[in-house]
Amino acid sequence: MSLSKKSKIAFGVLFIIVIAVFSVYKYSTKPPAEIEDRSVDFTGTYKELFREIEINAALWQDKIVLISGEISSLDDKGFVLSKNIYCILKEVSILKKITSKQNIIIKGRIIGYDDLLEELKLDQCIIQKK
Amino acid sequence: MGNARLFRKLKNMKKIGFLLFFLFLSASVLAQKYYTKTGTTEFRASVEAFEPVAAKNRSTSAVLDIKTGNIAALLFVNAFHFKVALMQEHFNENYMEANKFPKATFRGKIERFNFSEIIDNKEYPIKGTLTVRGVKKEINTIGKFTKQGDKLKLAATFPVKPEDFDIKIPKIVSKKIAGTIHITLDYEFIEKK
Repeated sequence: MSLSKKSKIAFGVLFIIVIAVFSVYKYSTKPPAEIEDRSVDFTGTYKELFREIEINAALWQDKIVLISGEISSLDDKGFVLSKNIYCILKEVSILKKITSKQNIIIKGRIIGYDDLLEELKLDQCIIQKK
Repeated sequence: MGNARLFRKLKNMKKIGFLLFFLFLSASVLAQKYYTKTGTTEFRASVEAFEPVAAKNRSTSAVLDIKTGNIAALLFVNAFHFKVALMQEHFNENYMEANKFPKATFRGKIERFNFSEIIDNKEYPIKGTLTVRGVKKEINTIGKFTKQGDKLKLAATFPVKPEDFDIKIPKIVSKKIAGTIHITLDYEFIEKK
């Protein structure tokens, strides 16, 4: 039993529709991008970054940065870098691998300048290099 | 001779007395602050029939003065994590306009706060102003305080409405987003040294 040309076209169209619906579903339910996959908007030290933020703070929200600096102190969820940045770690287990006074490079997302505690706040932080 | 010595002794005692008095005064006037940088603030706007509309912000900053009961909190709107990227985008860009209003803040007071009498789930009323999207709203709620080692935990929950902060929900999704949004706080304070 062979399919008539009409049937073949019908199946073809149906197939395309199924793929389209599936793709839309997948796109509309996808989770936010992981920090590892996001591109870096700034690389440097805190001093250099701060100069940029002073010019236009709103521009730097949700931007990904690569900061090099010295760990000033650690707590149960993250650490303070260069005395002025609080980095909330993506994975708390990283705390075991770092120590105070260590020089590191972190990749994190800027959430904003915390004027209550007077420090720049980053989250989703991962260690790029030690 | 004896009188002169006695007189000097009395003068010194007076000086020490004044010094002690000022020390006590300043000690009682000095604030004693507790803070957190990683407080969890969650909101839930779900309507039963649909997918959950909820997100958690785990980077809330808050400072509490245990002597006065004054409390201030600050969170960044773009730090609310949603499970679905599109929801997060819509939340930030359309509803909250995070570019214009990156922060939500609270300034208030815990009434009759008494740090020493807290053990487990001690309740105190919290009154203050919540500012979201530049709009202020008075909040009245109850905070439950628990001591855990050297930490002070605060749990509270209160309702708000999107209209309170000029948040416009488009008709097309108005059925999916509840008229009342529940905000839940879970903060762990440590002493500022």
